[in-house]
Amino acid sequence: MLEPLIQNNVVCHAVEAMVFASITCSILGVIISRMNLSSIGFTMSHAAFAGASIGMFLETSTQIAAIAFSMGVAALIGPVSDKAKMAADATLGVLFALSMAVAIFLISYMQYLGRGLSAGSLLFGDVVSLYREEIYALAAISLLSVLFVLFFYKEICAIMFNMKIALASGMRVKVVYYILLFIIALSVALCLNIVGGLLIFVWLVTPASIASQFCNNIKSLFIAAPLVSLLVSAFGVWAGFEYTLPIAPLVALLLTGTFGLAVLMSSKRKVTTRMH
Amino acid sequence: MSIIELEGIYTAYEGDDKPIIKDLTLHIDRSEYVVIGGPNSAGKTTLLESINGLVKITHGRATVCGFDVGKSGHEVRKKVGYVVQNFYFDPFTPFTTEQVVIMGRYGRLGLLKRPSEADYEAASKAIRLVGIEDLAQKTIGTLSGGQQQKVMIAHNLAKEPEVLLLDEPFSNLDFSAREFLQGILQDLVKRGTPIVMVSHAFDGLPDIRIHLVVMNEGRITKDLVCPAESVEEIIRETSFSKRNSESAAKRRSHGIRSGFIAPGSARSR
Repeated sequence: MLEPLIQNNVVCHAVEAMVFASITCSILGVIISRMNLSSIGFTMSHAAFAGASIGMFLETSTQIAAIAFSMGVAALIGPVSDKAKMAADATLGVLFALSMAVAIFLISYMQYLGRGLSAGSLLFGDVVSLYREEIYALAAISLLSVLFVLFFYKEICAIMFNMKIALASGMRVKVVYYILLFIIALSVALCLNIVGGLLIFVWLVTPASIASQFCNNIKSLFIAAPLVSLLVSAFGVWAGFEYTLPIAPLVALLLTGTFGLAVLMSSKRKVTTRMH
Repeated sequence: MSIIELEGIYTAYEGDDKPIIKDLTLHIDRSEYVVIGGPNSAGKTTLLESINGLVKITHGRATVCGFDVGKSGHEVRKKVGYVVQNFYFDPFTPFTTEQVVIMGRYGRLGLLKRPSEADYEAASKAIRLVGIEDLAQKTIGTLSGGQQQKVMIAHNLAKEPEVLLLDEPFSNLDFSAREFLQGILQDLVKRGTPIVMVSHAFDGLPDIRIHLVVMNEGRITKDLVCPAESVEEIIRETSFSKRNSESAAKRRSHGIRSGFIAPGSARSR
């Protein structure tokens, strides 16, 4: 897609991947952060990591395995846990521990078998070795996230404002919440190859947190978060290639640094000293 | 047929083995101003949330606005306004008063439908009615508790509900704001929208006949129609006599007779 602008194929794929992943994760991140669902993003990212480990162990597609496992976890967090009347915290705690245990167990076992050499990419991502199909998949999920927000904007706003008040006003809160869970699962699984299971959480939460330091209304949050994420990620890719640095951890560090700066600069924390 | 009909209902929160509301029967007609009183943990909020189906009814029959609450809670909530008791909006909440008030219409609209001109007009009308035009463009998290309470009342008025449930709606408001809002509620009642309000603040009640429901331990201990000025007294009497009879029973179970003072106690000395 960006070939006319960027001649180098590897760099071009990396930039495209970063663009789509930034948009997807930061848009969903705005919703996750406002709804205080960070633990869902956290659990989901580790579920994708566990799924990919299973795929690697079974010598099948890591991406399909990651999608399947994350979708399963989304179902357990949402509909199944609702039916079983499980507290969300308990479900998330158990699923996070399960995901980590499965992933670490399989990676350790593969290392013991001498097959775990490429497991590092699951942890930290490998943005330079993406296939064209993976970029298309990222573009598709990016579009899906944008469409989700556009179509369900009214419902998303009400849920982000207050879940109980939205429910009391007669909205179909659960439907939107479940769709959100499955889109998060799909996005996290598809972004796994870029930043890895351990770092994807940074993309989900940090851009939205940076934008919230400056934005007072919801529309500007949905625009500013992807924009910040896009700029920082693109800079990270450039710096990574220019100085031969690991790209995903570099982008994570840059985003965290930007968040620190945003907190320092935020006018929302300034106390006026004016008397009149 | 009453707009709210509860027949021998029991409700329990998920995981609780004891019901909060026990064998409660209550009928509320259109144009009734209902005040629910009673001590803490009497089940007042649970009763409101049983009416709109937020809390599951485990036994009995509940019909609100012609819908069975157990089967069609969602339809009931589209028609019933509910001003919740506890809310907290942090200063970073990215929604203005205007946006919060229009959200009151969303339930009626259904999935995927955008608010129309009529919806925005209803929201503006509610904002004007509650007198918060100057707050319309301010983010809700930056408002005071009383202002936020007014916004939540406007949010529910914008809905144009067939029944309005209010849980401690005046807890953050000063006397004049209470009187002003009571006037709005009285108008609603006159136009055929019943008000069902849980409250501990009875000053400023409108000068009309009040349907008073006093609750204790999940049951109705008094259900009568009385003048507004008697509400506080009746609630106090009912709660006080209940508390007295309870402490007398407790004393009896400990073998202490009324008026008996143990030797060596402060009063005997």
